[in-house]
Amino acid sequence: MRTLFTAALLLAAGTAAAAPTYPVLATQSSLSFVATQQGEKFTGVIRDFDARVSYAPEDLAHSGLEATMRLKSIDTKSPDRDQAIGTADWFDVARYPTATFRTVAMRMTPTGPVADADLTIKGRTKRIAFPFAWKATAGGATLDARVALDRLDFGLGGGEWADESMVAHRVEVVVHLTLAAPVAAAPAKPAAH
Amino acid sequence: MALRSTATAWGPVTRAFHWGMLVLFAGIVPVGYYMTDLPLGPQKLKVYALHKSVGLTLLALAVLRLAWRLGERRPALPPMPAWQARAAGAAHVLLYVLAFAIPLSGWLFNSAAGFPLQWFHLVNLPALTGPDPALKAAARELHESLVAVFLVVVGLHAAAALKHHFVDHDTTLRSMLPGRGGRP
Repeated sequence: MRTLFTAALLLAAGTAAAAPTYPVLATQSSLSFVATQQGEKFTGVIRDFDARVSYAPEDLAHSGLEATMRLKSIDTKSPDRDQAIGTADWFDVARYPTATFRTVAMRMTPTGPVADADLTIKGRTKRIAFPFAWKATAGGATLDARVALDRLDFGLGGGEWADESMVAHRVEVVVHLTLAAPVAAAPAKPAAH
Repeated sequence: MALRSTATAWGPVTRAFHWGMLVLFAGIVPVGYYMTDLPLGPQKLKVYALHKSVGLTLLALAVLRLAWRLGERRPALPPMPAWQARAAGAAHVLLYVLAFAIPLSGWLFNSAAGFPLQWFHLVNLPALTGPDPALKAAARELHESLVAVFLVVVGLHAAAALKHHFVDHDTTLRSMLPGRGGRP
């Protein structure tokens, strides 16, 4: 009886944490930012990143988004700019090779789900609101988001580079994730008999 | 004073184009040689931005000047050997061609490098091509070579004008100098 009770508890816990995890289809997903240099927008694509997506609208408590971005892979379609972007004035890729994103809470708003997340770039962490659009598809789901950041919050291009006529402070991050069908949740281990 | 050129002297519009463009070229060329060695930083970008803005200004002036020139007469050349007249004509054609080709090659270089192009923080201009490292190197080479040719041609053009003024004592130089200096 006691064993059965424990098993039931485990099962309940397992169910509660059942926001399914969706594998990210890397080739159909993109992580990029749109910045403005001398009045002209350019896009930087972060080619190398991992993301982990667990989401169930009815179980936001156990939903979460995580991403690790390797900033050496930034491609702005200009080798000179890519090289400049990696220097100490900007991302300082040698000292801070990765940026991370991790949700701390998830909430539903009238316009859709919002993740409150810690974004860490160049060693500086900022709590940001990350509203996203979730769409179930035949094969899985898509997640789309567009969030504006201030580059100075992360020490990107301070000092002389703070001049907005050269590089605007506002940078938009654009996320498009294509997700495969969730991996079947591992069946709760049968309690030891 | 009429704006147009006469049979004996260049008009004030042509003179303004001539000397105005000379002043801009005299400023932009040394900046062009100087800026490439600047350390990467906002200062470098600003100097480049200025170089590009002045270059675009020169391109616009080249368009206007050519249009103006096509619609007006040229003063007659003072008496000189036929080969000199031909050489002067060829140099003038070449200078017109370079007035277009130099800024356009810079624009191409900038486009192939994937950099923005803005005229004095006011207007952004489109790229002529997408980012292309091979084209970028070629366009840079072209831009620099055209400037080298330009400096040689300008040098000959100026030397010829001075020779006419100080050796031949004719009105060639005075017909272009600012002010009223027309031909008697």
